[in-house]
Amino acid sequence: MASIPPSGVPSSKEKKYDRQLRLWGANGQNRLEAAHIALVGATSTGCEILKNLVLPCVGEFTIIDDKTVEESDLGTNFFLDEASIGKSRAERTMALLAELNPDVKGNFINNNLHELLETQPELFDPSTTKFTHIVVVSPFLTSDLLRLPQSIPLCLVYSVGFVTSFRLALPTHCIVETHPDSLVDLRLLSPWPELLEYATKQSAGLDAPESEGGMSDHQHGHVPYVVLLLKYLEDWKQTHNGSHPISYKEKNEFKAFIQSHMRTNVPGGSEENYEEAVAAVLKHIREPELSSATKAIFADARCAEPPANGDSFWITANAVSQFYSSPSQGAGVLPLSGSFPDMKAESSVYVELQNLYRARAQRDASLVFANVQATLDRLSLPTDSITLDDVTNFCKHANFLKHIDYCPLSDAFSEKPAEGFKDAVKAAWENWDAEDGLVYDYVALRGWQMFLDTHGKPPGVEDDSVENDRDEVSSNAQAFLKSVGIEDTISGTRTEKVVKELVRAGGGELHVIAALVGGIAAQELVKIITKQYIPVNNTVMFDGGSSRSAVFQF
Amino acid sequence: MAAVEAPDYASGPRWRDLNRIFQREGGFHKDDDEPYNPEAQREFIKNKGKILVIGAGGLGCEILKNLALSGFTDIHVIDMDTIDISNLNRQFLFRASDVGKPKASVAASFIMSRVPGVTITPHYGAIQDKDTSYYSQFTLIICGLDSVEARRWINATLFSMSDPNEPDTFVPLIDGGTEGFKGQSRIIIPGLSSCYECSLDMLTPQTAVPICTLASIPRQPAHCIEWASLLEWPRVFEDKKLDTDDPEHISWLYETALQRAREFNITGVTYQLTQGVVKNIIPAIASTNAIIAASCCNEALKLMTNMHNYIDNYMMYTGDEGVYTHTFQHEKKEGCPVCGEKKTTMMEVEAEWTLQELIDKLKEKPDVQLKRPTITKNGKGLFYQAPVQLFESTKANLEKKVNELMQSGDVIDVTDPGLPFSVSVEIIFK
Repeated sequence: MASIPPSGVPSSKEKKYDRQLRLWGANGQNRLEAAHIALVGATSTGCEILKNLVLPCVGEFTIIDDKTVEESDLGTNFFLDEASIGKSRAERTMALLAELNPDVKGNFINNNLHELLETQPELFDPSTTKFTHIVVVSPFLTSDLLRLPQSIPLCLVYSVGFVTSFRLALPTHCIVETHPDSLVDLRLLSPWPELLEYATKQSAGLDAPESEGGMSDHQHGHVPYVVLLLKYLEDWKQTHNGSHPISYKEKNEFKAFIQSHMRTNVPGGSEENYEEAVAAVLKHIREPELSSATKAIFADARCAEPPANGDSFWITANAVSQFYSSPSQGAGVLPLSGSFPDMKAESSVYVELQNLYRARAQRDASLVFANVQATLDRLSLPTDSITLDDVTNFCKHANFLKHIDYCPLSDAFSEKPAEGFKDAVKAAWENWDAEDGLVYDYVALRGWQMFLDTHGKPPGVEDDSVENDRDEVSSNAQAFLKSVGIEDTISGTRTEKVVKELVRAGGGELHVIAALVGGIAAQELVKIITKQYIPVNNTVMFDGGSSRSAVFQF
Repeated sequence: MAAVEAPDYASGPRWRDLNRIFQREGGFHKDDDEPYNPEAQREFIKNKGKILVIGAGGLGCEILKNLALSGFTDIHVIDMDTIDISNLNRQFLFRASDVGKPKASVAASFIMSRVPGVTITPHYGAIQDKDTSYYSQFTLIICGLDSVEARRWINATLFSMSDPNEPDTFVPLIDGGTEGFKGQSRIIIPGLSSCYECSLDMLTPQTAVPICTLASIPRQPAHCIEWASLLEWPRVFEDKKLDTDDPEHISWLYETALQRAREFNITGVTYQLTQGVVKNIIPAIASTNAIIAASCCNEALKLMTNMHNYIDNYMMYTGDEGVYTHTFQHEKKEGCPVCGEKKTTMMEVEAEWTLQELIDKLKEKPDVQLKRPTITKNGKGLFYQAPVQLFESTKANLEKKVNELMQSGDVIDVTDPGLPFSVSVEIIFK
């Protein structure tokens, strides 16, 4: 064994991050390591979010907080210790979080958001900021939240007792690597000439008995199902006026048609490749169709005319759209993904077939790449700013792309909320199954924020003001409801109960809930930072009492 | 309700936020429930709640932290693993200098140094090494495991301890699990809820690649890797057992698989893939562990008190696309071999199958999924995996046809050395 060279052995960094690299790869990891997160509010929830980003190795973080550590912080926040009492909360949480991962750089600013926005505006100014993402953990005044820049991705988190929520606000988020279940597209109904030719060659003698020059049982049982489907589709067309089996009924007939050609006088009484072919009919025999998400991208003005800032997503989307509509390129189909599933076959035949799909995908990607280069040239951008690898990856995912246009925070939080926001709240409130829905929690939480804006502190801090505070938060919630155009009373609804829960907490966090929302928010941030998987749009409510979540586009 | 006078629970201001929630009645306390009694609850958690955490890995580290910061003071943790470098991306109680040390003790020391007043007793070993007298000392068990077998074992063990006449013998189990951006948490209460075995068919059974594919017609990089580990390794190193934790062994498999892939023009064999295939690695990240562990502990806190209602009895979390949770009541399965009334499942077989074929199908049957099944009928052995004498005396049956060994309608009993119960299967000829 000693003679084996240690080639291919992963680096220590690859070993350390192995379990996550299997999800987002080097591509995602590089983006994570280039991020700089600002955490405003070093509460337990804030620190739990950061913990989940420091461990996978976000590049850098900065904690902004002006509090001095009190003993009560230690009861909820794991990233503070006895020695921290009396010291800067920003400094101590930074130190105990940075300790989790020596690859990450931690910073702190011992000051509050309001003061910093006044005295150091450059800190959050998009043209000068070092922060790539901002996480704000309540309590903060609405007026300060609205001063945060719209062009830096923001996550605003609430964690009050059992009630939690967060809101994402970021510029248009474009995702190539959405990680769908499968990227396979076999093009069975529109095979290109080389594929059809190969299938014809490989299926020669398929239906004839061996004694009449047909295939042996071994050969017959190893014809890959893609070849079988292409061959029987051609046969089917002969007897169906040149049309394909499209309807569910036709597909079932087609299945029976394939089945009727299976040899049954073989060991086991059936052939696995034929069974695979039958099983593939419903899934793989379909007209190439644009997904609604890709259709929406093609219809976007930024796809038609890519922004001159050189955003690679829109330039490549434009190039793919050109490919799709050009009669000499895709002629109405997207670039091929090149992904090819496993199937019963002889090794050499399988590899040849797989190579046909791969070669076609490469050919498509290089045509798209040429389109990209022409656009870069036209926009006077460096032609090496988008590589063939980038384009190949994009083409592979062409039918699974996603873009999300987020509403700015001001739509929901300014004194005059946007009409779209009002409509969304109204629709959620009036939803047929809303009675127990978490929109009631959202309304209660808005009442809580209004209390904070009025008093500069959360409700329920003092034991003897619990009932008064509760009444005030309830009437705030009622006022919020009216402001979005809902005349219903909150009396007797879930909102009233949630208000009681909110005031119960007295602005305090429950560690289990802080840890829970810390995990959910961190997952969303990881998806946003790596530009992989699909983040939520835009508000998540999680009720720790009933362990339920809901997503609203508020 | 007026706020109750704040009792000072020993630790004073440290537990201010938690105590507030204990002291004040919540919005969802039902009028017909017992009157809200904060003191009894806080007292219970502090003095009577004795919790066992199974697993000190990705979920376990989080669970220990969450329990310690929820006021629990008597916690035990059991784990048979030592710390590996690949744990550091999520198991936040461990540092690079801890690699090689037992997880349970490093995790316990870390939490105790950070949270004064909590006692965590570590056990470095397998759960199967402990018996029911050990498990019966706990008021609650929380599992953060990555193994189906271990979960089935603890689930069956807890049910075997439960005596309907002695309510104290019922130990609830909270189980969490993750995979990538997904996970689930659930509460299992013997006698009341469904159990782990009831939901076995929710897992997709692992279907093995046929040996003939590996031996003669590989097509995928994974086929080459499995060929190297299942066929080449035993051929080349007759007496040496493959250790998937030994980097030299993995390197050999990788080189061997790569060589084979080249012969067949197959691309994509990498060291990482080799390791993934032979160790069956499941991707794991800090944030998902945080969500699921926190959900388990949130339910534990609610279950041990009446500060809020606990779930009945299952929550699934999916984060690949947006945020999606599904909270529902998972129902008991009638034929469950652990908690069911009628502990028999049914299986349709071809009379012409050999016993070996029947066994292969049983391994894949979603509600059976045994790795090394031993088969008996009316107490008489049809096939034994072990000991050697019984294996030798029954192995000839593997080649026999099913209809030579049993009739349609017969019930066979299937056991596995890893599980403390048997599965009864009614055999029906197709």
